Amino acid sequence: MRASPSLAVGDSPVQRRVGPVTPTDLVRFAGAGGDFNPLHHDESAARAAGFESIIAMGQYTAGLLAGLVTDWVGVEHLRAFEVRFVAPVVVGNAIDLAAEVVEVHGGEARLIVVARVGAKDVVTATARVVCANLG
Amino acid sequence: MTIRPGQLVDEVELPVERGKIREFARATRTRDPVHTDPAAALAAGFAGIPSTATYSVATGHYRDQASFVENLGMEISRIVVGSVSWRYFRVLVAGDVLTATRTVESDETREGKSGSMRLVTLATRFVDQRGDLALIQREVLIERARR
Repeated sequence: MRASPSLAVGDSPVQRRVGPVTPTDLVRFAGAGGDFNPLHHDESAARAAGFESIIAMGQYTAGLLAGLVTDWVGVEHLRAFEVRFVAPVVVGNAIDLAAEVVEVHGGEARLIVVARVGAKDVVTATARVVCANLG
Repeated sequence: MTIRPGQLVDEVELPVERGKIREFARATRTRDPVHTDPAAALAAGFAGIPSTATYSVATGHYRDQASFVENLGMEISRIVVGSVSWRYFRVLVAGDVLTATRTVESDETREGKSGSMRLVTLATRFVDQRGDLALIQREVLIERARR
């Protein structure tokens, strides 16, 4: 197994920007995950539901955030991941992904992970990661 | 209508597949080559191609969303997913076959500004082919008040 990462409060992976999100991005994710709710690929269905356009699955953005974290620490070191869906992501939005270590204790690091569109949080998350250092 | 905790929602079998892992990695911009390159996975010490962190979402291909919502006595048009969490006990690798058993963990009604909201927490336990618990996924469904 790969060595677990040494992490200190304030450490961060390189931020990512994804998008502008296209319908193709969401169809690709629908194919992977199996969510074929029309709100996520059909413009007229999304508008009928009161959205300005097609909206991303919450799990799409959650997957982007998980990828940011696991590419940095290694998927085998992720113990827990929890996401809260704050606001919808609409096709055409660019999503900024960021993470930061906020606590290290007992060989485990806690990270705050955030997806933003402009200045607005759309998905917020916490990750718990095994680390090589105790604290 | 309130559901008692522990009630079974559904149970499906989820195979962990190399091609599906690749689809997830590409769709979620997950770049670690262990998810797509067998040599990289082997060199990193995995027994096979490891899945991406949220692979368990692929149960969506096996479940009947409309019928489970109806079974819970909820209205699909008023439901939003508030939060989802994963607790990992081991990494999934291609070739694993998981049994995903979803149950109701809690069912609460809260009064808010726009009327009463129902919050249903579902927990899915993913048990591998050896009978070991690999991960638990939880999701909180929020049913908003009728307008």
